[in-house]
Amino acid sequence: MATAAQRRIKSVSYAKYGYMFILPFFVVYFIFSFWPLIQTFILAFSENGTRTPALIGFDNFKTILAKPAANDFKAMGIHKSFWDGMKNTLIIWFGNFLPQIALSLLLAVWFTDLRVKMPGKGFFKVVMYMPNIITAASVAGLFLALFGDSSYSVINTLRGCAMTKEQLLAAGLDSAPEPWKIITTCWPSRCLVMFIQVWMWFGNTMIMLMSGIQGINESLFEAAEIDGANSTQTFWRITFPLLKTIMVYTLLTSMIGGLQMFDIPYMLHTGNVVNDYIKTVAVFIYEMFHSNFAKPSFGYSAAASVILFVITSILGALVFYVQRDKDAIEKKKKQKQAAKEWKRKQKGGGFSI
Amino acid sequence: MNKLKKSLALIATLAIASTAFYACGDDSQPANTDSTSDSVSESESESESESESESESESDIDDPAPSAEIKVPETGDKLSILCWTGDDVEKMIENFTDNTDYTADQVEYVNVGSKGGEAREEYANYFAGDEDADLFVLEADWILDYINNDEYTAPLADLGFSESDFDGCYDYTVSIGTDNNGVLKAASWQATPGGYVYRTDLAEEYLGAKTPEEMQEFVKDWDTFTATAKKLQDDGHKIAMADTLGGMWQVWQYNRAKAWLDADNKLIVDDYCKTYAELAKDYYTNGYVTKEDQWSDGWYAIGQDDSTMGYFFCTWCLGKGSMLSNAEGGEGGKTFGKYNITAGPSGWAWGGSWLALSPKCDNGTIAHDFIKYFTVDATTAKDYALFKSEFVNNPDVMKSIVDDGSNKNDLLGGQDQFSVLYESASTIDMDGKITAFDAQIKDAFNQAVTKYAKGDIASYDDMVTEFKTNAAKIEGITVE
Repeated sequence: MATAAQRRIKSVSYAKYGYMFILPFFVVYFIFSFWPLIQTFILAFSENGTRTPALIGFDNFKTILAKPAANDFKAMGIHKSFWDGMKNTLIIWFGNFLPQIALSLLLAVWFTDLRVKMPGKGFFKVVMYMPNIITAASVAGLFLALFGDSSYSVINTLRGCAMTKEQLLAAGLDSAPEPWKIITTCWPSRCLVMFIQVWMWFGNTMIMLMSGIQGINESLFEAAEIDGANSTQTFWRITFPLLKTIMVYTLLTSMIGGLQMFDIPYMLHTGNVVNDYIKTVAVFIYEMFHSNFAKPSFGYSAAASVILFVITSILGALVFYVQRDKDAIEKKKKQKQAAKEWKRKQKGGGFSI
Repeated sequence: MNKLKKSLALIATLAIASTAFYACGDDSQPANTDSTSDSVSESESESESESESESESESDIDDPAPSAEIKVPETGDKLSILCWTGDDVEKMIENFTDNTDYTADQVEYVNVGSKGGEAREEYANYFAGDEDADLFVLEADWILDYINNDEYTAPLADLGFSESDFDGCYDYTVSIGTDNNGVLKAASWQATPGGYVYRTDLAEEYLGAKTPEEMQEFVKDWDTFTATAKKLQDDGHKIAMADTLGGMWQVWQYNRAKAWLDADNKLIVDDYCKTYAELAKDYYTNGYVTKEDQWSDGWYAIGQDDSTMGYFFCTWCLGKGSMLSNAEGGEGGKTFGKYNITAGPSGWAWGGSWLALSPKCDNGTIAHDFIKYFTVDATTAKDYALFKSEFVNNPDVMKSIVDDGSNKNDLLGGQDQFSVLYESASTIDMDGKITAFDAQIKDAFNQAVTKYAKGDIASYDDMVTEFKTNAAKIEGITVE
């Protein structure tokens, strides 16, 4: 026999307190994330050059996507910058993702291999992760000092570009070599950004892949070893297939991050103008609304953001589609079909045994 | 009991969550949109009884300024001057507080952004907040944006100034500080004529020029300048004549007959641009100009290792702690004091800074006294000119300094730069030659020219297309 108090407690619904406790998050989310998202879509259809824009329909998208007339410099400028940015983004992303994943996978396998008894694993893990915790601004500053266009950057100084006349005489040289202009030359600057991105992120990816490998049942590796599989076979037959989920995750996060790449490409320049050859879409978006204080082009920026959003969504969906679990889908289909069959049989009556 | 606990927990959670909204509130500052608007409401909204009593006691001690005409309230306890660099403002405050009854803690420099271009945007953000903002510094490249916007700048008449107060100043500074409706919004404390600063030791060794007058013969016009550069290369000296392409363009830009935009905000690209681009390419390929970027570390390094004969520098590059000082490696640096200045191939001026009044200003008297000290009052302006080696905005003062011969610039080995620059200052005419978009257009042009000089762009026509394409992205201008 329950007492009155017990009955009362039973009737208390705790659900509403749960909602109350998560309410603050949703309020903050709606104000700071969801509304800005909606606002971006609205701005994409709004005019430029003002802080209180009116709606103008699809004009911004037309300017960015459609090929402009030859003498329309404005449309040409925006169209060209966006597509140059898209090209640069994709080039730099591919150029950093492929080496990065290969390097990370190799290191992750080595670090987790039972047979490789590598001393100081923890030390290497920390050291390799380290570049990731340096702020991008410092990294950009560092690489500008190392590989800058100036005759006084480290690489050009080592090549002797900053030699004085006396030093040249002493070295028996006629003239100092021309400084390498890595930062403002097309491919060298792109390769430098790719390298920086790999250097900054391979540690992070490696840790992620290692946790994935450690999640694989150890008995599988042991069994393989007993059966006489060498490490290549173990890798391709066990590690790689079972690592698929975590690889998809890495690919997806890296892709989203890569399409939004901003900090290093934006900061790797001297003077006032961002280097054209490494200008990404995100830099284009930022510059369009930012560089012109009095008349910001929110419309073009927002439209480019929306286009980027669509591209990201499509690529994300594509990754999921390619990597989908075909067996599970097949199974589900069969189950459904069996259920249908069974229902039909029920309706038909007669045949049941 | 349970209910109480739960509600307490809820309140605590909400209280923590609400901190997320801190500083997001719109403080709805009173928009002081026209010059006649009453500022009483503003003073009420910002006043605190404490600071009020403080400022009252201050004004008792201080010199009685013409407070009757000052429409700006006196409720603040500190004059805040906003700028993107302390180079000028900190020196000004030092000089101001040394020579007046004001103490150093009554005037403060607030750093807003680290570059002129950044400050342009940061000001607007800063004004939207609660922080104290009384006076702020504007740069020639974008001053027109601000003085034509009543939300950001108040007329100097609010501080009791009339246009005739600035009769002693260079006319062009007054007309640039005046907005489209003829209201005076900003006052400059400087005029900015420029010259060619060169290495005395190298000039004597390579060219035999012993004095600035002799050196001027080697750089008197652009043809001679180029010939001298060629001679230096032919003699095997491996030295450039000009510092950077950016520095050369400042000289050329000033001497252009037209502004970047016409009356309808249409971009003007004329033959002058072509002449310059071809010259720049010629200079770059032949080593007549160094391959460093302006405003980079390399820009200063070339001043110490015989990479360049000289720099195109203007008045504000020649004071203590300024660009010339950096180029010499500071006091005791490799080339400290080894420079002299001459007029160079053509007279020119570069930028300039103006003091503007924020509508939020709450220190009328100090603000008035500060502006007066540096712009209107000849005695104090002269003091500051000698204190900072600044070319102040007053021809009579500068004339008297030149006549006295009292100015000796250690960076120039004791030479008086004012005697060289005084002549060209009187011819400065920037009125109508600056636009609100200059900073961005200049960047786009210099980028295209540098690519052309480097060989990334093959022909001049392609360069113009690239420049136009980039400039056209700037909202508010038309390109054909």
